[in-house]
Amino acid sequence: MRRGTIAATVLLAVALTACGRGGPSGGGEGGVSGDKLVLAVLNDQSGIYSQLSGKNSVAAVEMAVEDFKAKYGEDAVTSNVEVITADHQNKPDIANTKAQELYDRQDADLILDVPASSAALAVAAQAKAKKKVYFNIGAATTELTGKQCNKYTFHYAYDTYMLANGTGRTVTEKGGKSWYIVYPDYAFGQDMQKSFTSAIESAGGTVVAADPAPFPNDNFSTFLLKAPTLNPKPAVIGVMQAGGDLVNVVKQYNEFKLRDKGIDLSVGLMFITDIHSLGVDAFAGTTFTDAWYWNFDEQNRAWADKFQARTGTRPSFAHAGNYSAATQYLEAVQRAGTDGSDAVVAALEGHKFNDLFARNGEFRAGDHRMVHDAYLARVKTKAEVGEPWDYEEIVETIPASEAFRPESASLAAGCKLDG
Amino acid sequence: MLSRRLGPLWLGLGLLAALALPWLVYPPVALDIACWALFAVALDLLLGFTGLLSFGHAAFWGSSAYATGLVAIHTGLPFPLAVLAGAVVAMALAVPIGWLSVRRTGIYFAMVTLAFAQTIYFVVNQWGSVTGGENGLQGVPRELGGVDLSDPFVFYYWALPIVLLGIAAAWRIVRSPFGRVLVAIRDNPARVRALGYPVERYEVLAIVLSAGLAGLAGGLFAVGHGFASLQEVYWTTSGKVVIMTVLGGIGTLWGPILGAILLVLLEDQLATAGFDGINLVTGLVFVLVVLLFRRGILGTVRHLLLRRRDRRVPDPEPGVEPASAPAVEPAR
Repeated sequence: MRRGTIAATVLLAVALTACGRGGPSGGGEGGVSGDKLVLAVLNDQSGIYSQLSGKNSVAAVEMAVEDFKAKYGEDAVTSNVEVITADHQNKPDIANTKAQELYDRQDADLILDVPASSAALAVAAQAKAKKKVYFNIGAATTELTGKQCNKYTFHYAYDTYMLANGTGRTVTEKGGKSWYIVYPDYAFGQDMQKSFTSAIESAGGTVVAADPAPFPNDNFSTFLLKAPTLNPKPAVIGVMQAGGDLVNVVKQYNEFKLRDKGIDLSVGLMFITDIHSLGVDAFAGTTFTDAWYWNFDEQNRAWADKFQARTGTRPSFAHAGNYSAATQYLEAVQRAGTDGSDAVVAALEGHKFNDLFARNGEFRAGDHRMVHDAYLARVKTKAEVGEPWDYEEIVETIPASEAFRPESASLAAGCKLDG
Repeated sequence: MLSRRLGPLWLGLGLLAALALPWLVYPPVALDIACWALFAVALDLLLGFTGLLSFGHAAFWGSSAYATGLVAIHTGLPFPLAVLAGAVVAMALAVPIGWLSVRRTGIYFAMVTLAFAQTIYFVVNQWGSVTGGENGLQGVPRELGGVDLSDPFVFYYWALPIVLLGIAAAWRIVRSPFGRVLVAIRDNPARVRALGYPVERYEVLAIVLSAGLAGLAGGLFAVGHGFASLQEVYWTTSGKVVIMTVLGGIGTLWGPILGAILLVLLEDQLATAGFDGINLVTGLVFVLVVLLFRRGILGTVRHLLLRRRDRRVPDPEPGVEPASAPAVEPAR
């Protein structure tokens, strides 16, 4: 009898649950759902990428929201725009859970930033599953516009192709024919190693050896000691580390005096915050590819002044990229008149624009790569530095059409937006 | 005994709680609770009932997470079969690990299991072409013959029966003659050996069974998240499940479930509140429990109730023994 009662209760409960709760409610037909836009910045707020993006990117997104409100005033699609943030600690599992929570629980309409390629890919999978928009700024992997591209994911600021194409090609053409590559052993590093190898080889150089290093890592002496013993001796050591790891490897490159042994340093990905934390001497003369530089022209400088007034530091390209991405998303919502993901994506695809960050910018419809002008930069020597943070000399502007992987190559890499 | 009659009531209440969980908390968190609860129960089978502290259970949880993910990705089998395959892999892995580990006891056993788990971690990390290395195994599908499981709320109810079966299996194991022998080994291995039982073989079997249950939990976790990462095989995962088990009360079977609920909820609350020092808080809670309530939450409650009953020995009041208490005492 008792068992029967319990069984009945359980069955009742099952029946109740089966009836209740549908799937997540889709974006409204028109207008802004809940009359509120929620922009979520998901990035590293305490680890090795916290300087180059981190909390200051949240500030940049807040600036974008303020500028949007000031621009449209009463005409804005909604005056209620909230900026929220979460720390993913550069771990793909945490990024995966946080992205799910931001979309589901905190009703985020957009996730921004997400440095660390492995985390970036995890979030892309969530964006696809939840059918919510995702602008990646902080991560570099071309997988985002390759095999793992999807309808709701846009890759914004840079990628490994852009870096390799700029730095690898130029350095090789200028005489650095043989390379030794050290890369961090996760999606970003593996991707950088591949992109650089193909860029170096197509420019007529060779890669003598390529070694993966743990990520994150403090001690790079194994690789730095190995470099001069390689046969043939490489002319260039290409370090693909980023953020705090880059600072370590460069510091140790200088301690081991590899430049005196005839091995030049080439850096795969560098943010201005990296130069700032080590000082220009550590990098002087190094050529690298930059997506944006604060002291490039008046427009950049004016925004950098506003940014500095707010955060006390000059912006990296990730900060400017976050500002720009948030702005372009808000503009797209304004054009579409709704925050429904499909309508916003349609408003973004093929859209051409110029803004603070992107010159000759275009959201390519085929692979969702946002292409824009990139810059070949050289780190100034101490004598050339005129003011704090004045570290770079822009040597060459790489036009948007050449800076990024052609759309056909993305499709060949397996990108199917609706797949 | 009234407790006999109360047993089904507690069970019913527990089932209702399990069914109501995704209504009360965010559904993915509910699934986390279910998976971690089964994982903690699996560990309790070893820690509480066999007296072996495994500090490397992430090896079984994680290897199953990866195996489940790989099976689901490459074969497209329905997820329960993929999870089962993961559990089988975990059990297969447990045979050599268990066989070698039971040669040591106490702290040495814990260290040996930790070493094996770290070995697994490095294998998973280095075997990037299969496991995805640092990137983790992404895009694990939730396949079930065309049923739409994309809503975590729906998926919870498909995953719950597997968790309940796992817990029921653990419950059955500790009540079987085999389970009694395990308890006897915990309390006095020398005497059990003298009685003619092959102690090591029993221990290895306990490890394999525990690994199987941990594997079920790990596989479900991977399917639930659509993702298996290095975190699953990392030693902190082994530590977390030990904390849950000790927090709830070892050797109680229901305690670890309570521990899992509390710890997952605590972490979720802290993370949602944007608090950074999650590990600091769980660590503090753990230290407090070890210092003040050695028996864990449920263990302490049961102990107090038993002591109250013992004081009234002449007229034992029926019903004060919590019905959820497993039959550990009779074996002593």
